[in-house]
Amino acid sequence: MKKISLTLNGEKRELELEPWRSLLDALRNEAGLTGTKKGCDVGDCGACTVLVDGKPLNSCLMLGVEADGHEVVTIEGIEHPLQEQFIRLGGAQCGFCTPGMIVMAKALLDENPNPSEDEIRFGIAGNICRCTGYTKIVEAIQAAAEEMRK
Amino acid sequence: MSKLAVVGESQRRPDMPGKVSGRAQYAGDLSLPGMLHAKTKRSNVAHARIKRIDATRALAYDGVKAVLTHHDVPRVLHYGSPHPRSASVTRDQYILDSKVRYWGESVAVVAAVSEEIAEEALDLIEVEYEELPALLSVDQALSSSVKIHDLRNDNLVVDPVTVRRGDVEEGFGEADVILEGTYTMGRPTPAYMEPNVCVSQWSEERLTMWISTQTPFMVRGILAEVLGLPLTKVRVLVDHMGGGFGAKQDLFQSEFLCALLAKKTGRPVRMEFTRKETFLGGRSRHPGTVWLKQGFRSDGTITARQARITFNSGAYGSHAPGVTAVGTTALTSLYRCDNVLLEGSAVYTNTPIAGAYRGYGVVQTYYALDIQMDEAAEKLGMDPAELKLRNAVREGDLSPSGHPIVGHGLEDCIRRGILETDWKKRNRPHLASSEKPLRRGWGMGCEMHGSSAYPGIKEQGNATVRMNDDGTAQLFTGTTGLGTGAHTALAQVVAEELGLRFEDVSVVHGDTDVVPWDIGAFASHTTYMGGRAAQMAAAEVKKRMLAIAAEALEASAQDLEVRQGIVSVKGSDRRISVRDAVGPKLGLPTPQLIASATYKPTKSYSFAAHFVEVQVDTETGQIDVLQVIPVHEIGRVIHPVAAAGQIEGGIQQGIGHMLTEDYVIDPQTGRSLNAGFVDYKMPLSMDMPPIRTILLETAPDPGGPFGAKGVGEDPIIAIGPAIANAVYNAIGVRFRHYPITPEDVLNGLRQKEKH
Amino acid sequence: MRRFEYFEPATLAEASALLARYGGRAQPLAGGTDLLVELKEQLRRADCVVNIKKIPGLGALSFDPQAGLRIGALVTAREIEVSSTTIKHYPSLVQAVRELGSIQVRNRATIIGNVCRASPSADTLPPLIADGAVVSIHGGQGTRSVPLEDFFTGPGKTVLKSDELVTEIAVPAPAPRTGKIYIKHGRRKAMELATVGVAVTLTLEDEIRIVLGAVAPTPIRAKKAEVLLSGRKIDAALIERAAQSALEESRPISNVRANAAYRREMVGVLTRRALQRALDLAR
Repeated sequence: MKKISLTLNGEKRELELEPWRSLLDALRNEAGLTGTKKGCDVGDCGACTVLVDGKPLNSCLMLGVEADGHEVVTIEGIEHPLQEQFIRLGGAQCGFCTPGMIVMAKALLDENPNPSEDEIRFGIAGNICRCTGYTKIVEAIQAAAEEMRK
Repeated sequence: MSKLAVVGESQRRPDMPGKVSGRAQYAGDLSLPGMLHAKTKRSNVAHARIKRIDATRALAYDGVKAVLTHHDVPRVLHYGSPHPRSASVTRDQYILDSKVRYWGESVAVVAAVSEEIAEEALDLIEVEYEELPALLSVDQALSSSVKIHDLRNDNLVVDPVTVRRGDVEEGFGEADVILEGTYTMGRPTPAYMEPNVCVSQWSEERLTMWISTQTPFMVRGILAEVLGLPLTKVRVLVDHMGGGFGAKQDLFQSEFLCALLAKKTGRPVRMEFTRKETFLGGRSRHPGTVWLKQGFRSDGTITARQARITFNSGAYGSHAPGVTAVGTTALTSLYRCDNVLLEGSAVYTNTPIAGAYRGYGVVQTYYALDIQMDEAAEKLGMDPAELKLRNAVREGDLSPSGHPIVGHGLEDCIRRGILETDWKKRNRPHLASSEKPLRRGWGMGCEMHGSSAYPGIKEQGNATVRMNDDGTAQLFTGTTGLGTGAHTALAQVVAEELGLRFEDVSVVHGDTDVVPWDIGAFASHTTYMGGRAAQMAAAEVKKRMLAIAAEALEASAQDLEVRQGIVSVKGSDRRISVRDAVGPKLGLPTPQLIASATYKPTKSYSFAAHFVEVQVDTETGQIDVLQVIPVHEIGRVIHPVAAAGQIEGGIQQGIGHMLTEDYVIDPQTGRSLNAGFVDYKMPLSMDMPPIRTILLETAPDPGGPFGAKGVGEDPIIAIGPAIANAVYNAIGVRFRHYPITPEDVLNGLRQKEKH
Repeated sequence: MRRFEYFEPATLAEASALLARYGGRAQPLAGGTDLLVELKEQLRRADCVVNIKKIPGLGALSFDPQAGLRIGALVTAREIEVSSTTIKHYPSLVQAVRELGSIQVRNRATIIGNVCRASPSADTLPPLIADGAVVSIHGGQGTRSVPLEDFFTGPGKTVLKSDELVTEIAVPAPAPRTGKIYIKHGRRKAMELATVGVAVTLTLEDEIRIVLGAVAPTPIRAKKAEVLLSGRKIDAALIERAAQSALEESRPISNVRANAAYRREMVGVLTRRALQRALDLAR
């Protein structure tokens, strides 16, 4: 077991982790944050996307112990206009990809407040959604971007 | 159609805030004190008897609490998907058997204090197989003397289905043109985002199971049956679930094993599939072939239709009987034909199990039918959309279920699509248009699909509605929320019927101890059947509420109307809020306002025509879908955003079927070659084209709530032939299979060059 | 994932010592986007994981107009993707990186990890080889340099000894009048493993390198095609001949992603397209 300290959704936290535990499992099982989802566990689906030091990554492909000294933000730590637009425009259906999708979209808008449709589609290429066909997700991200520019 | 107050508006879905914030609870999010983790050992042969299986070393491994092999579990023959009173499914599975019938079948499970330890212990289970000849194709299975199951003396799942109307010989005799072709379908899988997961806990001899399923009552029923318990001793809980698309109405053996491990260890046990296991132990659509022959008069009238359909069921029957029946009978319709002879069969092979998947057999048979219509149009010198319009089923025609079609939904969809796309200009042959490698083309495809599985399955909709003493109401429904927004639609129906605001109605669901029985969320059932039952229960509550209000208003109940939570006497200013009407009077509670209803359906069909533009790179063979214009006639639209969302998602899956998705089984060994998202390729954000969805409400169904019909199945069906037809329009090569790979395109172009 | 021991060495020497102690049973961890997948899917075993992120000096990305580009062992694919320097001078590498997994993966995956994984289909390899990259290796016996095109010995196999780590890749500065292109062929527009990858670095009337990915056990140079073109005035007919030659030089296999014959045919198509575009860019 290794003791790590990190900033998790703005709060200082200490966790004791086995080294082989992924950040995803550490968040879900040790930190009690189950909003981050496990869709494939091998970096192909994006459901486990979190921000580490502001950058989106697959928490299934990072060891929990590597988060020592870093700042991690999960869906539970995000309040963003994206969320209301996803609700309003049908950007979520089953909701399983949604936390990762919103974290990724937030990272995208943080970097580029006025993305084109192509840039949005490029940005969320690593987030699989099997319900929506992406049309309404793209619309929701565009609407959130527009709202933020107002 | 008349405008309604709550129905028809895209109300704010109550399930959404939890989903966008990470608060929504899925079965896999549950953690219980002392919970163990279970893992499955899967076979690495396709067909074998287990000579010896020894778990001694695994049991001795530090941290392992229990191991189960076929020696340790009750041997009860059971249905893979337990539709009650239905011939749709097959009784051919054991919890664990002494025989394995496909590569990846479970042979043992381990429960341990951590997932890592459980996984490590799998290596310590020793299995000796006596291999049997693996029958990996339908042809092998049909010609072999080896039997995959002992239930019959052949490898058919059930007796073939034959559907006969009129006289095909006579019909072909009247034809000016006859077309004949064989169409072959690959093995797409639903690939829901949430891997199968369940958590079992026993207390006082009573089992509680949290599970990701479309059919909690069927899970309850089969667990009780196989484990020998009364229904009062099994409680199944489903709150949110991460997609199912049909497949999660089966049982995956993990449910029994999880429950048995929990019982044996006296601790809660959690069992979650890896993504790979969702392929190995999951369900696919049925691969198959359709031989189809049709006769046409020179004016385009269809004189006869004959088909032989063969589905590959994989190692177990699952939904093969239902899929075969529905897919086969579907060919009686869509395009009118009086003389029809159809034979459908399903065959066991030593490959992964095919099961229920959105479009249930119809995806395959309408793919053949709609492509052949385009082929016929070319021969007849007609426009394909015009030919389909001319033959489209309509008011009064016999539907596949034998019920008369209501309205002109299909014709309306085709006409609207022709208008929206300026079709006559679009659908010109592009064949010789260019020397450039990129060619574009347009195509269209049609479909129809029944709302609910009735009469194939004798289902019903149930609902209970209770009005609280503050004038709010609660709907108790056994339907499951797959994520389509169905519970929102049901709340809209109840609010509309009761005259309440949408916000004043909530939905109670997901606990088999509490809610009325429901067969499950599949077959475009929930809004149609669950919705109509909810409407009926709400109507009864409304009647009683109005009786109370009538007393307060000193009026007759017939003279009252209720809107936005206010009851008023028609044509006067006398009014009372629902809240005041049903609230306590002088400290005395009003009588409980609660009513239940059961709806036994008629049958209704939804319709669609999809119009598609594709681009083909003639040097690489790559096909891109550039745009899709789906036109759907679904009766009364309850929640436009949710309905369109389902359509767009279905199109995504359908594009995948056509171009990139195929779960590949090694034809020599039966091993799966792409059990993961790297090589099982679903279209992603950059692959998906813009979709402009058009909803029509021109043929409402008298049986559905406020005239609503189903929408879930439809979108995945029409997109397929639309794409194949568009590819033909672009490059002049006719494909009669899916997926159409880049290699197929280049080979097709080469063949065409030769001719 | 199976259990393993875990270390965070503070120096290269410490890391080499750990790798030496465990022989082949230790795995270095930088980005982890390949390693963790292979451990989870049991394609690779690790009794010990050696995280090299705490070793100072491995994260540098620098460019000098004469010396060229230096990529440290911890530089991520995403850093290459968004750096204005690489976008300007190493566009084929940037293109390859843009098509490597997702942004989430690229925020973790390192260029050197992609190199050391030695997948025949790895996207960064063809452009790096085409640009003449050289790797610096550190091990118990000291340091050495190896041209990237000589680094690979087979699928997943390299010249690295079990105690060695790649610490840096150096890529020469681009010559004037040079066009660079990478074309990846996959079924989807993202999240793909290349079924064929073609990189071309073409300097007008001078050297030209054509590197093919996913069509041999390692990335290979289409040397006969290069000879046809080098130092000559290039026209459409010559491009066609070179493309045909590249096709003949490739040695692809068939698997679930594509058949060998199709891959070979694509080598011809993509090499032709890549040469034409590189030529346009160089002008």
